[in-house]
Amino acid sequence: MQGTHVRHRMEALQDAVARVDRRHASFARHARLREKDGFVRFGIDALDAVFKDGFPVFALHEVRCTLSRDIGAASGFLAGLLAGCMKNRAGRIVWICDPACRLDGGQLFPAGLAMFGLDPARLLMVRPADLKSALWASDEAAKCTELAGVVFQVKGNPARFDMTATRRLMLKAQQNGLFVSILRQGGEEEANAAATRWCVDARASAADPHLEKGIGLLRLSLVLERNRNGQTGQWTVAWNQHEHGFEHVPEDHVDRPAAALHRPDGAPQMGQVMAFERAS
Amino acid sequence: MNGRPDAPPLAATAKVKNAMRLVAVDGHGHEAGLRVGQTLSDARALFPDLDVFDDDPDADAAMLEAIAAWCDRYTPLVAVERLAETIAGSAPGLFLDISGCAHLFGGEEAMRGDLVARLRAAGILAHAAIADTPGAAWAFARYSDRAAVAPGRHQEELLDLPLAGLRLETQMLDMLRKLGLRTVGCIAALPRAPLAARFGNGLLLRLDQALGREEEAISPRLPVPELSSERIFAEPIALVEDIERTALQLAGNLKPRLDARQLGARTLELKLFRVDGHVTSISVRAASPVYQPERIMMLFRERIAGFHEDMDAGFGFDLIRLNVTESETRPVEQADLGGGQARGEAFINLVDKLGARLGTDRVLRFAAADTHIPERSFGLVAQAGAGNAVETLLWSDNQPALDGQGSAAVLTRPVLLFDRPEPVEAVAEVPDGPPIRFRWRRTLYRVVRSEGPERIACEWWRDGRGGQSRDYFRIEDDEGHRFWIFRLGLFERETHNPAWFMHGLFA
Repeated sequence: MQGTHVRHRMEALQDAVARVDRRHASFARHARLREKDGFVRFGIDALDAVFKDGFPVFALHEVRCTLSRDIGAASGFLAGLLAGCMKNRAGRIVWICDPACRLDGGQLFPAGLAMFGLDPARLLMVRPADLKSALWASDEAAKCTELAGVVFQVKGNPARFDMTATRRLMLKAQQNGLFVSILRQGGEEEANAAATRWCVDARASAADPHLEKGIGLLRLSLVLERNRNGQTGQWTVAWNQHEHGFEHVPEDHVDRPAAALHRPDGAPQMGQVMAFERAS
Repeated sequence: MNGRPDAPPLAATAKVKNAMRLVAVDGHGHEAGLRVGQTLSDARALFPDLDVFDDDPDADAAMLEAIAAWCDRYTPLVAVERLAETIAGSAPGLFLDISGCAHLFGGEEAMRGDLVARLRAAGILAHAAIADTPGAAWAFARYSDRAAVAPGRHQEELLDLPLAGLRLETQMLDMLRKLGLRTVGCIAALPRAPLAARFGNGLLLRLDQALGREEEAISPRLPVPELSSERIFAEPIALVEDIERTALQLAGNLKPRLDARQLGARTLELKLFRVDGHVTSISVRAASPVYQPERIMMLFRERIAGFHEDMDAGFGFDLIRLNVTESETRPVEQADLGGGQARGEAFINLVDKLGARLGTDRVLRFAAADTHIPERSFGLVAQAGAGNAVETLLWSDNQPALDGQGSAAVLTRPVLLFDRPEPVEAVAEVPDGPPIRFRWRRTLYRVVRSEGPERIACEWWRDGRGGQSRDYFRIEDDEGHRFWIFRLGLFERETHNPAWFMHGLFA
């Protein structure tokens, strides 16, 4: 317990130093300086183990759910992730919503976001009329150095949002020091330039010790399907409302290779998803 | 003007007093004896080959509106005049307040000539007159050949005009005519009290307005811009790049004036006057007061890029005007010592850019409202909206609900909320308990865990007497999906078969 406390304190101090550095860096831009604080740790050993230097904040990430109704779980995970990455960072978050998502996914509820530690006042909601302008808006937002993050919510796998578009977002995220994320609702696994891709699924929560049929800590199943800098994996995590962070829920009964988990039918496929020319 | 020398006369008809009558006749027809009000059968007897079409008042109004928009090139104060049908000679017209504008066109007479000539070139026959009062101008345009009346002389000149020039009702006019009163001069000299007693105050009001004894204000169709800058082209321009360059120049012209008043523009309008009379108006709204020409141009560039397929340049634009329709005092900023951008400027630029291209109503921020009803408790307002002052929104982490039970460790509000709660078919064990099964979007869910109810009462001051309370339950199905579901109406107290609704999704 003492150890974690010291570590948190050290991290806070390091971040403070990094912030000072960043201010100086604005006079003469050194991308290298900012990279120091461009990584966060989840505080979950199993998860941190797959990221050697820590989770890269300044990159393009993808959070997806296979079914439309899991968008709540995916949004919740992204909100928690954003809150964790933005803890020591000022700046606004631009949330761009493809019009197709609005039809059945509902809209973000600020009171719910606040519970994940994400201040709704930091969000700038952008609702373009079509996918083309949504892509343009995400490109423009990723150019802005004063932002903290950009979220691009998209439904399914639109053809327009291809390798080139994601690569452009990835480059801008790295150059401008932004957390850029794709939130894909009900989409298939698709090869793109994202540094990590998470597939989120809701899990039955733990029993609440205070209530008979109460809902305990909410649990999510995370499948890290792609990790540019390390291994992939599968974990179940719970959201701890007290500490505003995820904690690991060890699951002893699941002992399968991670890659096959989201493909319940058939043998696990060999190899990796590669970027070919699109069929659609 | 006869634009169709070889064709038969043209007339518009409508059903008036139970007969098809002519409501408008062209010049050719008028010369030949056709009159407004004639029945169509009489007119056909005169001209068997008379060209007739149906009267379309909406199209007339739209046309007049378009001409009014075009008249903005002369003065910002253009009013569309809409008189009652019963007024004699009530053909609609326009009032242009040209105070202080005439010298730009080389004087009043030259301005009038330019206006009439340009309209004539567009195929529109216009009667225009300039006088000291709107009433007198109205009379001269309709009942006199005098184009312009020297300042201060309109009183004498008016006396010879027929009484119809005073915008009087047909009925009153007939009565006056029977008494032998035919010109304005006839009644101007009469004692006022008997006139008012006999004909009401309307007659004297109109007389006074025409003579200038009574003030008459015209109501312009558009608010007057706070600042404006324009450029006239001898050769029309059509390229988007040229339009942008012009916008930059015009913004540059405005800058000294904005600087002098320490103002920045919040809403700007670029008016493009096409050669053929069509006017395109592009308006943009900035997230913060802008005064730098480059930023103003950037706003328009995004806007034009957003819809340039729709913009029809036709044969080009011969007048481009930049209006500042709304301005604000500039906030005082301290520049960065390093010469970089001021703090927050990049973000404001982004908001401007997104707002200009997508529309400011699509770039939003959350605003809190003081209510417990979830869908009303927040709203999305334009980031670039009115009220630039930074509002600090308080989103409490600890919702008041369930505080007493010490379970603040639980998320009590969903991440996603449906704008309109969706009806579900639910089965509950007891009428006021949580559901055990429900069907939502054609899928059956089996409830394993549930918490609640959290009762949110209706707002009787808004929903009225029939409003019903909601009992919210947080429920989890056997696969781990967590929902926010509510029952509308308290069992037996408010309703006997309460309905269930899905309202949100938890993580």
